[in-house]
Amino acid sequence: MSIALQLEGVSKSFGGLKVIDDVSFSVPTGSRTALIGPNGAGKSTVFNLISGVYPIDSGRISALGQNITQMSVAHRVGHGIARSFQNIRLMPHLSTLENVMLGEHHRSRPWELVSSRKASAKARATLERAGLGTYPGQVVADLPYGIQKRIEVVRALMAEPRILLLDEPAAGLNNVETEELRRLLQTVSDSGVTLLVVEHDMPFVRHLCNHVVVLNFGRKIFEGTPEAVKQDAAVLEAYLGTPDAMEARHA
Amino acid sequence: MSGYLAGLLAMLSINIIVAYSVFLPGSAGLLNLGAAGFVLVGAYTAGALSSLYDMPLAPAIALGSAMSALVAFLIAFPILRTRGIYMVLATFAFAEVVGGVLLNIPSLGGAAGLSVMAYAGLPVVVPCAIGTVAFVAWLMRTRFGLSVRAIHDDESVAHLFGVHLRMTQVMALTLGGAVGGLGGALLVHQFNFIDVQSTGVLFSIYVLLYVLMGGTQTVWGPLFGAIFFTLVPEGLRKLSELDPSLKFLEGGRYIVFGVAVVLIMMLRPQGVITRTMIEGWGGSARKKEAGA
Amino acid sequence: MQLLQQIVNGLMLGGILAFVAVAFTLTIGMLNFLNFTIPALFMLAGMVTWALSSSGGHFMGLGWHWTYAAAAGIAVAVLASLLIERFTYRYMKARFGDATEHALPLVSSLGFLIIFEHLAMMFWSGDPQRFELPFKSSTLEIGGLMFGIPHLISLASAIVLVALLNGILERTRLGRALRSIAENPDAATLMGVEVQRIVPVVFVIAGVLSALAGILYAASYGTVTPFMGDAIATDAIAGMVLGGLGNIWGAIAGGLLVGLVKVLAISTFGAEIEKIPVWGLLLVILIVRPQGLFGHTRIGKGKF
Repeated sequence: MSIALQLEGVSKSFGGLKVIDDVSFSVPTGSRTALIGPNGAGKSTVFNLISGVYPIDSGRISALGQNITQMSVAHRVGHGIARSFQNIRLMPHLSTLENVMLGEHHRSRPWELVSSRKASAKARATLERAGLGTYPGQVVADLPYGIQKRIEVVRALMAEPRILLLDEPAAGLNNVETEELRRLLQTVSDSGVTLLVVEHDMPFVRHLCNHVVVLNFGRKIFEGTPEAVKQDAAVLEAYLGTPDAMEARHA
Repeated sequence: MSGYLAGLLAMLSINIIVAYSVFLPGSAGLLNLGAAGFVLVGAYTAGALSSLYDMPLAPAIALGSAMSALVAFLIAFPILRTRGIYMVLATFAFAEVVGGVLLNIPSLGGAAGLSVMAYAGLPVVVPCAIGTVAFVAWLMRTRFGLSVRAIHDDESVAHLFGVHLRMTQVMALTLGGAVGGLGGALLVHQFNFIDVQSTGVLFSIYVLLYVLMGGTQTVWGPLFGAIFFTLVPEGLRKLSELDPSLKFLEGGRYIVFGVAVVLIMMLRPQGVITRTMIEGWGGSARKKEAGA
Repeated sequence: MQLLQQIVNGLMLGGILAFVAVAFTLTIGMLNFLNFTIPALFMLAGMVTWALSSSGGHFMGLGWHWTYAAAAGIAVAVLASLLIERFTYRYMKARFGDATEHALPLVSSLGFLIIFEHLAMMFWSGDPQRFELPFKSSTLEIGGLMFGIPHLISLASAIVLVALLNGILERTRLGRALRSIAENPDAATLMGVEVQRIVPVVFVIAGVLSALAGILYAASYGTVTPFMGDAIATDAIAGMVLGGLGNIWGAIAGGLLVGLVKVLAISTFGAEIEKIPVWGLLLVILIVRPQGLFGHTRIGKGKF
């Protein structure tokens, strides 16, 4: 089994606070891996470290066989890592098409047209496949939350990533939208893309993912299959520490 | 066409061009309160070349624009180190320094201004305006245009997806300078005169206001802004001449402009022409095509 | 000797600039708002005072005693300032949450500037009007140097007012409320500060400062025009930046410095040079040391 993404002994502090503490895990190639843990565990920070938004303090990150620890943000996209964000970070004043085409921007040249039919053909097709074909020209700020969330996923797909990082892609989606998202991600995974998904929606995770990494207080406390995670004592303790939240999530 | 209308159309064309010089950096999020700076560089360069060095009109204007672009390029790096209100003030300071320097070059006329003989009439000015609009419209449809607007909305995500922040901003400012220089070069040859006094703070403020009132979300905003805010005050003035009882309109037209600014900022701060509006028209056109 | 006199002249101009610079810096420091209507307030006070105190055939030519005219001038400026508060700052905040997210209040204030200047033009024409105050030409001579009485009053009152302002900000409840609003308006509301009632105070203070400056300017230099605020305001902004945005004492120092640099440059090199030293210096400061000579409060690194 080859490894698409690997973190070894990664640590990160902000000010005096150690937010990520000696975290190591591997994401097998072609897997659908979930990164879970209680709020504040450091999941989004891990994503920021993998995508290069913050530099790591110590340790090593490798992706697709290469050490990317020092790689610049834009290079990581070119290397094959794309992501979505927890709070939607689309360009509010741009149209769906334009937002989505930003995903492939790193491969383009400044003088190429964006708004010709030819240039936008791939983006339109990808939007269609994601069930978002009716919205190409609309300004995204005018679109509903659920649609915007999925547009962000399509933007990441346009980068033709080999590793796709998704930060709470199902948050705020209703049941129908969540199912459509799951089907989209399944298709993406079937085409060979490795998925790393941060999620709180446990049924979604159980349905989709075949590998799980659990963080708590910046440390990894479990790595393994979805079946095993339910039994693991450390994980149960981490979650049972906040019983109300547990109830809500498993509802 | 009467002399009056010709003059009005020429003024309008130049206003349109200068509006786009503010729009270009503006669409990247750089609020430029120093439009006069670029206009002055272009005007004085072109004017000096055509009057002091007897250069023909076309190259003089081209060089005026190029000089302004160069100045913009050089000033871009330091100015882009500032942020927010400081950047607005820096663009303003830049225009004042340009004016100040030009005032002190005696061969360019000093405070009395520069007079030039060569004349650029409608056949020159109008095509330039049309060309400018077409150029900017094309530019905003390219990847560069996408970079510019992405930076305006979210710099860090734009950077994540491969947009070169600094270079894009510098280019936006440089192109803005080139366009402003073109406007200035045309201005000096249309009125056969330029001086620092009349192309100063108020000028920069007015141009900025046209652009913001028109809307910076799309390419058509500045066009609308320049047209509306050139023709309406002029129209009001003409009206006041027709009927003595409407005399107050002459002084009042600027008050109307001021009120329009306040109202637009209160009710429609993104400007009159918005992205959603344009898409809406496009959408209904497409629906008509599809026979829906 | 000549040099010393020029220095004195520069400081006299600087005194007036200082007032306006403080008005600007207070508004930017407390509210993160670069208020371009301040030059109009300056002008309104000056022109209203002139109009009321003289009895030509013009609008408001009532021939009042200059003290009443001045009081009315200040009142008009304050009212105008409150109008701005209502229709730019407060409106923007109510509608858009953070009033300073965009350049809206700045742009709106430009609109009001245009309105007021052209209203003044409509009522009183664009021509410069002569403004004769009884003590205008009285000068004090100390050691061979001439000090204009109005100028001295400007300088002295600028210092007194700012000391007063500083005292209010540091020691009174009102001052603390203002400072908490400057720090974080939402937190201030949660702490029970009635932001709606306190923010207008800043506008009133700015109005009074600009008005006093306008009246003193008219008294010192003897003329008023609808556009008299423009040059002063731009110089005052330069002074504000030099002193550090939001720094009240810095604004005084900055205003004085700008006045000095301007007058010295003009007397040495002639009138045309004036823009270069002031704005050149300013451009450099903005790029290299935006917090000015004396440092600023937390401001404006956000959008506007």
